[in-house]
Amino acid sequence: MSDQSKSLSILKDLGTAIVQSIDNEEFPTLKFPGRGTGNLVYDEESKQFVLGNTQVIRDSSNLRHIKSFTQLVWVASYAKQLLQAGRTSSLRDLYYSSEAFGVEFSDQAESDRTVTDLECLTGIAREAFGVFPEERSSIYGQVTMRYTVAGYEGRDVDLTLSPDGLPIGPALVTADPVESNAELILAVESGGIFSRLIETRAWERFNAVLIHLGGQPPRATRQLIRRLHDDLDLPVYVFTDGDPWGMHIARVISTGSANAAHIQGLTTPDAEWIGVTADDITKYSLPSEPLNNADLKRLDELSRDVRYSDSMWQDYIRDFRQLQRKAEQQAFSRHGMDYVVDKYLPEKIH
Amino acid sequence: MNQDNSLHGEFSSISPAEFFYRNRQMAGFGNPSQAVYSTVRELVENSIDACEEARRKPDVRVSIDEERSGIVRVTVSDNGTGVPYGEVPNAFARVLYGDKFTARQRRGTFGLGVTMAALYGQITTDSPVIVVTQTSHTTGRCYQLLIDIENNQPVVLSDESHEREGPGTEVTIRLKGDLNRSRERVYDYLQLTTVASPHARVELTINGSSIMRMGWWHQMLPEPTTASKPHPHGADLELLRRLVADAGERSLHSFLVESFQRIGTRTAMRFLKFLAINPRQAVNTLGRENLSRLSSALRSFDGLGRPDGKCLSPIGKDAFLASIESVFAPSALTYGNRGPTEWSGNAFIVEGVAAIGTGARGADVPTLYRFANRVPLLYDSGEDALTKMLKRVNWVQYGVRSTTPVSIFLHLCSTRIPFKATGKQSIASLPEIEHEVLSLLRELGRSLKKTLKRGERSVRDAQKKREFDKAMKQVAQFSAELAECDAIPSTTELVHRLFEVDHHV
Repeated sequence: MSDQSKSLSILKDLGTAIVQSIDNEEFPTLKFPGRGTGNLVYDEESKQFVLGNTQVIRDSSNLRHIKSFTQLVWVASYAKQLLQAGRTSSLRDLYYSSEAFGVEFSDQAESDRTVTDLECLTGIAREAFGVFPEERSSIYGQVTMRYTVAGYEGRDVDLTLSPDGLPIGPALVTADPVESNAELILAVESGGIFSRLIETRAWERFNAVLIHLGGQPPRATRQLIRRLHDDLDLPVYVFTDGDPWGMHIARVISTGSANAAHIQGLTTPDAEWIGVTADDITKYSLPSEPLNNADLKRLDELSRDVRYSDSMWQDYIRDFRQLQRKAEQQAFSRHGMDYVVDKYLPEKIH
Repeated sequence: MNQDNSLHGEFSSISPAEFFYRNRQMAGFGNPSQAVYSTVRELVENSIDACEEARRKPDVRVSIDEERSGIVRVTVSDNGTGVPYGEVPNAFARVLYGDKFTARQRRGTFGLGVTMAALYGQITTDSPVIVVTQTSHTTGRCYQLLIDIENNQPVVLSDESHEREGPGTEVTIRLKGDLNRSRERVYDYLQLTTVASPHARVELTINGSSIMRMGWWHQMLPEPTTASKPHPHGADLELLRRLVADAGERSLHSFLVESFQRIGTRTAMRFLKFLAINPRQAVNTLGRENLSRLSSALRSFDGLGRPDGKCLSPIGKDAFLASIESVFAPSALTYGNRGPTEWSGNAFIVEGVAAIGTGARGADVPTLYRFANRVPLLYDSGEDALTKMLKRVNWVQYGVRSTTPVSIFLHLCSTRIPFKATGKQSIASLPEIEHEVLSLLRELGRSLKKTLKRGERSVRDAQKKREFDKAMKQVAQFSAELAECDAIPSTTELVHRLFEVDHHV
């Protein structure tokens, strides 16, 4: 059975269960794993965090549940339409489509959450329904990919094709790497550093596939990192701002996000965070700012998060708390435009 | 001397009849439209009082006919006791003559009103007042009367026997009046009369066609009032002198106990000891100075408890609610009362009803209907103490919004209503009355708030059900699409059951 028909049949079963329940004069209920960080457990087999046993129940007889229940069933029916028509849509597009069906979301965050609910409920990633986020990461490097999407099957694309990098969309994620000179993957948080690495031909020097994360990367990006890591056997280095948020970008790449813990194949367990660490701020005398309340609160949360339970990560957190300061990737500019390429990265990438 | 006389004018006294004619606007006869209304009002009040006296359910018929432009004939008939024949001339054609000077609640106060109407009719149309009356066990008589204004004496034009269908009185007055401009007021007045006297029925006929017939909203006749002994707080020097004159050689102690309400043997002893007057002294030997001391001590004497309420006739919860429900069909209403308490020795009770959805215009302040001794007050509301208190309450605090029209019906009953003028349209501001009215309004406000909340909740519940119903229909539709079945399952019964169950919890 193809992925598509499997998805369709899962959705059909969902509908049938609800219809039967109503026919039996019973209020339908839906049950799926909860996504709170408290419900994350480490799975040895897949080497990633997955959702534990805590279940969320949506009971349509509950006045407080009925709205989200309706939204969830609508998202399912919308996903089915996309699947049957072979179309893709964005999370934003889905949010705006809801109105035409008389379904109300208070904001896009609510409709995004509902899409994730459907994933948890059906065990199918939204990409399989053709729902992607609007924002795109970019990739640049010496790899040739072969498309598998309809209309482009068999066509190759060289990832150095554009000096701006290529956007990571559904087509690239499903493409297969066919040729590569790369020896490592270097994922960076900011667009400025990404451009700098392309311009200074650092990709050549390090034989690196460069990936622009742009904050917490979309799932497609994490999926592509995982595929390139697996298929080409490339080590992954993550280079972010020196603050709790940057640190967590790296951690999500290696252990997964709570929001997508129900999805397999997004994590790269041995991805390595090279910095900026609190240590680096001192060591490279980087211009820095004091941690604000939000930063400190975030550090507290992370220190209790199971994904940070090992001692190396607890040390990173402790270092930030002691230093009480943070720095951006761009802070290296103080030592000259190419300092980060000439000095910092060679020391970090072995 | 002559010069002096011309300087000072001629000193003379005028008769009460002349005085009231000269000041007719004070009595509510200031203009032709008010005159029609006041005539109807005085006659109807007398009629209902007479029926209650007879312990009969009042059945009052009012007919107004425009004889020619500006000349109106008003006839009011009742099924009351009838007027003893010997009293008819004085009762209808002599100003300030009547049987209403006792300390109990009556609609009329001085017996002034009807004669004022007769007087006004006589002056403006040169016509006599016609009175047909029948007391029980007689056949009835018809009188035509004029008033000798200068001497305040009745002039009997004719007095003949006249068949009537039963005991009662029918009075006809021809007057200069504006029927068109008074029509609405008369209608409102009669309608509200049935609100304040739910045991009465009122019929109105204008130019031969029947305009309304309403009333008998409540079957119970009000308990008859009994005149109370004076309250100590009302013991001004004049009253005290009169009482002393009636008491003869009684001891001061027994005089106090017998002449006043709320004073028992013990209170009297305590009181006299405080004044250092010998309780055994005979009252008629009290000197002028002691009498004055006694008067001021009585009027400021504290701790007497509530005054006697038997002299009062409040409408009462059941009757008041029943009449307002019948006339205004509100969606919710609530009753409250305060008293009896007293002002200057006059017992009074205030009672009120707050009603939601009476068709009144929505405003931040409720629409007020005022009643005094069961008589609706329609004019001069701006100067009225009840209106002032209504405005003093912060109604928004009690949930009154312009979207929820609320009406307040206030009834003040007292052995004496402190009217601002003889037109009897607005109540004077007295601290005792204002205090009780304000407390009553706040009490009504509190229960109004509860009622409104309940109303809002039920509206919210209905909306919740509608939203839930819509959501369940969507669930059914979307899941039918998912399941690829053509028939969308019905959720109506399911939703209905859920909310029915919710209701009982």
